[in-house]
Amino acid sequence: MAAPRRTPWIGRRAGWLLLAALGVAGSAAVMPWRRPAAPPAGPANFPVLVYDVAKNQPDDATFELGRQLFYDPRLSSDGTVSCGSCHQQSRAFTDGQALALGVAGRRSARNTPALQNLGWHRSFMADGGVRGLELQALAPLTSPQEMNEPLADALAKLNADPDYRRRFAAIYGPGAIDTPQFLKALAQFTSALVSADSRYDKYVRHEPGGTLTAPERRGLALFQQKCSGCHATDLFTDESFRNNGLDHTFPLDSGRAHISQRPADAGRFRVPSLRNVALTAPYMHDGRFATLPEVLAHYAHGVRPSRTLDPLLRQPDGRLGLPLTAQERQELLAFLNTLTDNSLLTNPRFAPPASRARNQPPVASVGP
Amino acid sequence: MKFRFPTLLGLLAVPLALASGCKKDSDSLETTSPVTFTVRNVAGSQDLALNSTTATTAAGETFTVSTFEYYLSNIKFTKSDGTTYAAPDTYFLVNQAKPSSLTFTVPSVPAGDYTGVSFLVGVDAQKTGLTDPATFTGDLNQANNMYWTWNSGHIFLKLEGTITSTSPSKPLTCHIGGYTEPNNAIVTAAPSFNGAKLTVQANHTPQLALVANVTKIFDGPNQTPLSTFTGAHMPSAQSVQLAQNYAAGMFSVEKITAN
Repeated sequence: MAAPRRTPWIGRRAGWLLLAALGVAGSAAVMPWRRPAAPPAGPANFPVLVYDVAKNQPDDATFELGRQLFYDPRLSSDGTVSCGSCHQQSRAFTDGQALALGVAGRRSARNTPALQNLGWHRSFMADGGVRGLELQALAPLTSPQEMNEPLADALAKLNADPDYRRRFAAIYGPGAIDTPQFLKALAQFTSALVSADSRYDKYVRHEPGGTLTAPERRGLALFQQKCSGCHATDLFTDESFRNNGLDHTFPLDSGRAHISQRPADAGRFRVPSLRNVALTAPYMHDGRFATLPEVLAHYAHGVRPSRTLDPLLRQPDGRLGLPLTAQERQELLAFLNTLTDNSLLTNPRFAPPASRARNQPPVASVGP
Repeated sequence: MKFRFPTLLGLLAVPLALASGCKKDSDSLETTSPVTFTVRNVAGSQDLALNSTTATTAAGETFTVSTFEYYLSNIKFTKSDGTTYAAPDTYFLVNQAKPSSLTFTVPSVPAGDYTGVSFLVGVDAQKTGLTDPATFTGDLNQANNMYWTWNSGHIFLKLEGTITSTSPSKPLTCHIGGYTEPNNAIVTAAPSFNGAKLTVQANHTPQLALVANVTKIFDGPNQTPLSTFTGAHMPSAQSVQLAQNYAAGMFSVEKITAN
């Protein structure tokens, strides 16, 4: 059995420090609920933060404003769908649907991705078409199959709302609510959705509660041997785009090729993180697999050949997929369940705001 | 923490203004003057009226236009000796439905006799590839609906309407953009002054009148039949071909006025 990956606890990283500061600032503010104490330092087992926090300094009032926006269905064309409609906290900000459900019963072409550790993403969406965290919200907002709201209309709604006007002005100064204010406020909420406290995390960081059972440890060893080529680092993704053998051809959704227009990218999709994977069913970019055992069965004996099939799914003997016995699949499942992180799933800060009045910033922070 | 955009922008503007003020040639008394551009969108020999004018391609195919918008940026003036002045941070969205957008001004062009002008039809890769929305001010604001939210980057040119020479008629959609290879649709237009001069001097605001012929999106080095045209919606080989067309022939200089 391979030795478990053990990352030494290292000092604070500058990026994480800023995120942690959000928690500290938050706990100092007068709020109607108690929030868990900020972690003493960042997730030492994570790579370096990608998101440029310095251009959107964490601040409690802005976070709460972003939270309000995230859960506000008025931002959709018919007032029925918010970001939180598809991104539900108890499911690691997914929705349990194969394809996301938008306004008027419309279906997106893709499965709702989990929202976690977005500050470590270099690109967004299953095809990587969106190049920055602050730009990302524009995609579901304006997609006709999702919230169906032109950005100018969303801004007009915000500007017509005295409460939003007051809250934006308290942060950004007087004047109309504009595109960067809107997107940066939202990004303060979405970038704060960090998952770094699963039992697995505590295990690799040697923290209390970080105990894995023997089958879970065997699952971890198998994972490192067979899965970590794509689901790499403790983010559990290398952020590459790969064809994992779902189909022979890709006429409806060519994935990365839709963005790059390169035939070599046909059928390649972003490698998703596996954090909280037990809660993000159904699986794949089109939600075709209802359960994790189905996913593992796919890799064991369901991989289909095509020109762009990922080389890691071709064995030296020519067989496709990843050879996995029934027992190995059980052990992998046991390990994958250790990636569930209740600190993300139950943190009251990430839940829908109880009421708009409760979330008004303290009077002291209003004004220039 | 309460930083504010107006304050922040103000702080940025001061050093920028100082920097550009110091970036003159050795002659610190160099005069500058604004140059005003006007754009007249046409379909062949007719002024373009949205939803009414029938545009006719070289092949005799016809279409009407409901939306016609494009970015002009990175405006560069050339003198007869070959030296150039590249106007910094010039991004203008021309929108046929918005008359005020058909006139725009490039500030602070150094005095001199200019014999040519060039500009990008679109937004340079360095700018449109940025990920901080605070950098997209004014005409570049994504709220202008000239930005692909699913494939980050500006739409350089948007033509929507109806192809009327087919039976039945069919919708016409050209959304041209893309700034990475192999589908980089950033193109440069350099309409000729035809021997005329643009004289920039103190106390004058010369005016450069451009004409933009919408049929040249399809007529040009990559002649594109409308009967089989299925639209352009994303960065693609076809988008690049159409961009090459409008770079080559859409713009001409109608008049230069000294004022």
